[in-house]
Amino acid sequence: MRLSRPQIQDLALGVLGILLFLLGWELIGFYKLAGLTWPRFSTVMEYLFDPSRRGLFGRAMGASFSMILGGYLLGFLIGLGAAMLSYTLKPMQPGIDRLASTINAIPPIALAPLFIVLLSREVTGMAIATINVFFVIYVAATSGLEKSRQNHRDLFKVLGASKSTRMLRLDLPAALPSIVSGMKYATPAAFIGAILGEWFGASRGLGLLMVSAMQNFQIPLLWSAVFIASAASLIAFGLMSLLERFVHGRFS
Amino acid sequence: MSPETAINVDHVGMVFTLDDGTELTAVRDVDIKIGKGEFVALLGPSGCGKSTILRLVAALEEASFGRVTIEGQDPAELSRAHRLGVAFQDHALLPWLTVKDNVALPYKVAGKKVDTTRVKELLELVGLGKFAGARPSQLSGGMRQRVSIARALVLRPDVLLLDEPFGALDAVTRRHMNVELQRIWAEDEVTTLLVTHSVEEALFLADRVLVMTGRPGTVAMEMKIPFARPRDPSIQRTPEFHAMADKLTLALEPEA
Amino acid sequence: MTGFATRARGFLAKYWGVIGVLLLWQGWVWAKDLNAIVMPQPLDVVRDLVTNPGIYLSNAALTLTLAALGLVMGMALGTAIAVLAWTSRLLSGILIPLGLIFSSVPVVALIPILARLLGYDVKTVLAIVVIISFFPAFVFTSAGLRALPPGSEDLFRVFGSSPWQRFIRLVLPSAVPSWMIALRLSAPPAVLSAMVAEFLMGTSGLGYMFRQSAADFQTDRAFGTSVVATAISVLCFTLATLAEKRVNARWS
Repeated sequence: MRLSRPQIQDLALGVLGILLFLLGWELIGFYKLAGLTWPRFSTVMEYLFDPSRRGLFGRAMGASFSMILGGYLLGFLIGLGAAMLSYTLKPMQPGIDRLASTINAIPPIALAPLFIVLLSREVTGMAIATINVFFVIYVAATSGLEKSRQNHRDLFKVLGASKSTRMLRLDLPAALPSIVSGMKYATPAAFIGAILGEWFGASRGLGLLMVSAMQNFQIPLLWSAVFIASAASLIAFGLMSLLERFVHGRFS
Repeated sequence: MSPETAINVDHVGMVFTLDDGTELTAVRDVDIKIGKGEFVALLGPSGCGKSTILRLVAALEEASFGRVTIEGQDPAELSRAHRLGVAFQDHALLPWLTVKDNVALPYKVAGKKVDTTRVKELLELVGLGKFAGARPSQLSGGMRQRVSIARALVLRPDVLLLDEPFGALDAVTRRHMNVELQRIWAEDEVTTLLVTHSVEEALFLADRVLVMTGRPGTVAMEMKIPFARPRDPSIQRTPEFHAMADKLTLALEPEA
Repeated sequence: MTGFATRARGFLAKYWGVIGVLLLWQGWVWAKDLNAIVMPQPLDVVRDLVTNPGIYLSNAALTLTLAALGLVMGMALGTAIAVLAWTSRLLSGILIPLGLIFSSVPVVALIPILARLLGYDVKTVLAIVVIISFFPAFVFTSAGLRALPPGSEDLFRVFGSSPWQRFIRLVLPSAVPSWMIALRLSAPPAVLSAMVAEFLMGTSGLGYMFRQSAADFQTDRAFGTSVVATAISVLCFTLATLAEKRVNARWS
């Protein structure tokens, strides 16, 4: 892929921006401009990549990422399933819409105790991630399923397509760009859900690490945990953006 | 007209109810019989209801009065049996499928095994053998319409419905596509209803031209086209062709 | 009579899902004969809400004030920086990628860091809401400032307008729809992050109230807090959506 001149400029400025941000972080820490609770970037990196902490971060990442992934997949399946249901059974749609937006409106703080009682402390993060992802995917998929064009629908009707054939060969492919965009925006939502859930009482994971480090003034640990979560979410988001670009090129 | 009636549009009227509750009569008392293997063009200005007639035959709409039958059956039964072929003005190709897969789509929708040789032959017939693996976005407007016509024919339908298939193309491409369609149609001579607003297109392609005018639309005139098949593009320059074209044009604009 | 019947049917069509979940909840508590400390019944929650409205109202008012104030300040700041970046190719090239990165990071994860940096304080809650509302405002306003109606810029040039006039009469107005999207997107997270911050730091407001009642095993009150939090979050979202619709109706 060849880049045009303005694109190269954009890229260079973007990289410059990130470098300036990291430099600012380093200098604020170095001159203690924000007090003792702002560590230098280099301190955080040293702390993060110290071999003796590999086990600590590895365990926390394993716990959190499996909750995030589980919640993401579950939320995706439920969201897509609900969207397909409300699309196929139109009279049910207003009710499912309203239920989905009500569930989404309940703040995770309010949901957490419910999940702790209903499920367990350990999977509360996953459950909140599931709900967050569910809503984003449900909204994206319902709007996507409406996107098949009238002439395509006419074509399938004239060809004598059954409902399931039309869903599989027309409605779902036509909805794919919207669904993939939804999948992209669902990644930070899954991270937020899992971390919030862990704040409310998990015994493992990055979220727990953050809260205990915050309470115990373990500044580099706190920043490292937040850094890992942010970087992982950003990488996942970036990969989803690539997938989105591919799908948009092919399916629309 | 051939002795056996394939499509029977029997005194059909169509009334739409608009959002504000008022009723709009789109077509009134339209009576059309199309023989088996006959190519009929329905010619008319936009808004005369000619597309409504095609949509009734395609089982996309239900008539308010009268009824439409194809070989004695309800059109919906033919569509359920995958016996209808259709091409729209907008090619309606699926952008995520290759040319080959778009042509094979009717097999998949019908739940039948794809006959790859038939797909290949049809692609050759419409002159797109080399583009089997291309995607619709990589083709020109004329090529897309050829794919769409190949798709309409792939299951050897009982009835072929063409709704302004070349309406979005430029004049030169359009004339070229008419010659192509004439050649492709001659292979199978399937019963065909073509909806168009182009006098030359109707004359060149059809065995019989019906002129629809007015709001609500009715059939104002019928003309048999005597040219023998296969037709050479040169017939379009004969005085006979021009005389018929003038007559049809006059029928389209009675007040002028 | 018939009017009532149609309205009742309309209500049922929209809310059967929500009603169904509430009935399931009540039925489940009855069937399992659960202890009220573990899982209150919907009726208990309603009773506490009705008998102690004062405590709910005062805490809700506090949280809502913080969220609204933070939202307004964050959006104002985001807009101001976006306008600043719009004036310079260099600044926008550096700031926009950073803004995009931060708006796709789970910003809620920054709450522990900010809490430690700024101290456990009501002002910190405000700062957190400001930061969370800042990024969408910045990203969307930046995009809006660049999305001028086609041809309009030439028109203004032909009229010989000064750059300042062009900015006030063309650029700023065409950014308004994007700005409204940012408002709609930021309103629910503003309320949520205010509550999460209150919960984590234990300062005051709904988040604190929730944490206290959960710690004291007043589960009916904890759930009551959830209900109030949900109501506030729905209210904010509805208001922001209405505002967006009204503005869009005038703008296009």
